[in-house]
Amino acid sequence: MSAEPKTAYEIPVGPQHPALKEPILLMFKVDGDTIVDVWPRIYTHRGIEKATESRNYIQNIYLCERVCGICSFIHTLIYSQGVEQLLGVEAPPRARYIRVIIAELERLHSHTLWVGVAAHELGFDTLFYYVWRDREVIMDLLELISGNRVNYAMNSVGGVRRDISPETADKIRKGMKIVKERMDVYADVLLKERTIRKRVVDVGKLSPHRAVDLCAAGPTLRMTGVKRDVRADDPYQAYDEIPFNVITYSTCDVLAQVLVRVGEVYESISIINYALDHMPSGPIRVKVPMAVPPNETVSRGEAPRGELFYYVKSNGTDKPERVKIRTPTHANIPAVCEMLIGYHIADIPIIFAGIDPCMSCTARCAFIDVDKNKKWIWNHEKLRRYGIKWYGKV
Amino acid sequence: MAMQKELMKSLAKKPVTLRYPFEKLTPPNGFRGKLEWDSEKCVGCGVCVRICPAFALEMVGKGLTAELRYYLSRCAFCAQCVESCPRDALKTTDQYELASYEHVIVEFKRK
Amino acid sequence: MVWEGLAATIELLIFPGIIFILWLSLLYEWLDRKFYAKLQNRYGPLHTGAKGCCQPFADFVKLLSKEDITPMAVDRVLFTLTPILLLGLSLTALFYVPMVPILRNEAFAAFDGDLIYVIFLLTMIVVVKFLGAWASTNRFSAIGGMRLLFQLIGYEIPLAVALLTPALATGSLNISKIAQTVGSNIVLAIALLPVLAIAIICFQAELERVPFDIPEAEQEIVAGWLTEFSGRKLALIRLSFDVELVLASTLVAALFLGGPYSPAIPYIPVQVSYFLWFLFKATIVLLVLSNIRTLYARLRIDQMVHFAWKNLTIIGLLEIILVEALLAGGII
Repeated sequence: MSAEPKTAYEIPVGPQHPALKEPILLMFKVDGDTIVDVWPRIYTHRGIEKATESRNYIQNIYLCERVCGICSFIHTLIYSQGVEQLLGVEAPPRARYIRVIIAELERLHSHTLWVGVAAHELGFDTLFYYVWRDREVIMDLLELISGNRVNYAMNSVGGVRRDISPETADKIRKGMKIVKERMDVYADVLLKERTIRKRVVDVGKLSPHRAVDLCAAGPTLRMTGVKRDVRADDPYQAYDEIPFNVITYSTCDVLAQVLVRVGEVYESISIINYALDHMPSGPIRVKVPMAVPPNETVSRGEAPRGELFYYVKSNGTDKPERVKIRTPTHANIPAVCEMLIGYHIADIPIIFAGIDPCMSCTARCAFIDVDKNKKWIWNHEKLRRYGIKWYGKV
Repeated sequence: MAMQKELMKSLAKKPVTLRYPFEKLTPPNGFRGKLEWDSEKCVGCGVCVRICPAFALEMVGKGLTAELRYYLSRCAFCAQCVESCPRDALKTTDQYELASYEHVIVEFKRK
Repeated sequence: MVWEGLAATIELLIFPGIIFILWLSLLYEWLDRKFYAKLQNRYGPLHTGAKGCCQPFADFVKLLSKEDITPMAVDRVLFTLTPILLLGLSLTALFYVPMVPILRNEAFAAFDGDLIYVIFLLTMIVVVKFLGAWASTNRFSAIGGMRLLFQLIGYEIPLAVALLTPALATGSLNISKIAQTVGSNIVLAIALLPVLAIAIICFQAELERVPFDIPEAEQEIVAGWLTEFSGRKLALIRLSFDVELVLASTLVAALFLGGPYSPAIPYIPVQVSYFLWFLFKATIVLLVLSNIRTLYARLRIDQMVHFAWKNLTIIGLLEIILVEALLAGGII
């Protein structure tokens, strides 16, 4: 925390604010129009990790799916991958390719959602409506493949539950062509529209050195030029057989984030087309036992927002001992707090939206007081009492 | 002015909004909607009740005369029960307009 | 004498007075929302009335019925006066714009110099908004109020330059006389096109619409200067936004396009012809304002002030030189 400026004004953004899609408190200290300091408080807690301990491994797939609505598939994928690692089985090749296709379709839908939300945060509602109109193509494809537009429930421990028929594959290819054409139009608008450029160029800068120090993940890290992507560094599923590029830009501002995500959209389209053309035939799942022998494993993958990390520990029964989820937005919060300092109040929505925040994925924080060398965690009762005291003061 | 061309094109097109509830889309084949139970195939094994992640199914009675209680407001429409049933007695329909003011409990009864 | 008084009262209250202006403002809000939606490939208001034309009225009535919360710490006098004054000021300014010359060949309350008075009223509207924001004692309102004044500093000079250029060209400060001269001189109307563009841009900033809705930026400061207003006060403020929209459209149509004074359409009475020309020109200006609203992202306040001073003011001053040169050369 920096020294107190002469006139410090406190502005709370959140927990309920039109700029935020999900609740988080960001307490800003501003001096005039310039942000001097940011203090985040993440307080939402749904108890999902505790709930996994009283459900068996099959039921937990659907529980982990509902950690986040936008990146639901990657949660089930990394969880199933973890349980498969515990059991020592591998999903058949066709299942691995289908998993890659659905994961990339999800990345497409997440990045196009982000472009719309970023445009909305800039006040550019027109681009928001247009991008979300064309995102419906991807949602309809996902509904065709899996039976639902969100929460696809495609994964099972040992493979996938539904196959992709040749007719569906044709529809996917047609859809990818449409998405590519429309993305060309929107990339053109994003790069050439002067009012957008004025708002995102040289805004929210983060040096590569600080980004690595603060453990930033995903496009937030790649926009500084650091080439880190779990799909390339530690390939899982079928990513070691499919060629693709890791997109990085070196300007380190919000425009770089936009360009990284637009580049990833094009890469996803080419990965899906390659996977559809080279999909091996065979079974789509293997049968696995219900009880898992005692073991512990770590499974990680590249969610649309960054590196997703699952730690699963089994104890011989059909219910896990512990499931720990570390989501990418949780890792990006310290980075965004650093990115916000020194910019205008008007830049708050776009810098915060730049990391693609998904608070439903973020875990509650633990308090650490470095000066007094204390560490503590609050339970629900303490949190409630503190809330009543705080609101009584304000 | 980068969006002007797109805007001009939209003036000539019909709006893309669907005027629900006067115009509706039919869900595709395989859509996971409300459950449907075939009482002649069910043998009352209880696998669906045990596997449901949302605890939305409850068995009423035992064995070949068992009936099913379906808590529609708890159901997550994951279709795991459809997959796990050894006799294929459960199916998903394409009904998705299921919002209501109270909790809905559907009692599947044998004929 | 009595009949004249009665006629003047009907003209003030009904047509083209308050009732007509309020009806026109609700109609223009509907037209703005429908055109904005059509450009975005969607429907806009649809079910209230034929094609949703009663939607602005329905919104107004809904807001009237909501609870009107006055926080404890506000300055009650200023807080309650703000919506009333806003509506009053914008309605007043409309009486000087020639809309439908029925009983007299000019606006209802026209006098020599009413252009300066209308510019003054436009500035007063922003000052009243700032006072309302300051009286709200809410940090978001305070930031919104500051941005209002910053924006005023930005666009006021180009707007005044743009609005006074037709006065320079025609040699009169009476809006109705300027409208008559511009309406009958097509060369003058073409020569005024650059300042027409500047006036439209500055009015977009005055009306606080994208790309200049900075004082009311929803994503940044909740609702900006009108955060604390709710219920009836918010209903009146929204109505005053619509009336300002009518003011902007009709003022631009009168000063730069000739208002109702264009060659009469044959086979119909001349008053109806004036009315139709007036509606047509004001609607064209409204559609241009709506199109600007769909095209751009929101600017930051420092970028807006830079843009207004570096680009708009320079072009406005150059246009004055051009107009003076054309006047001296006898072309207009």
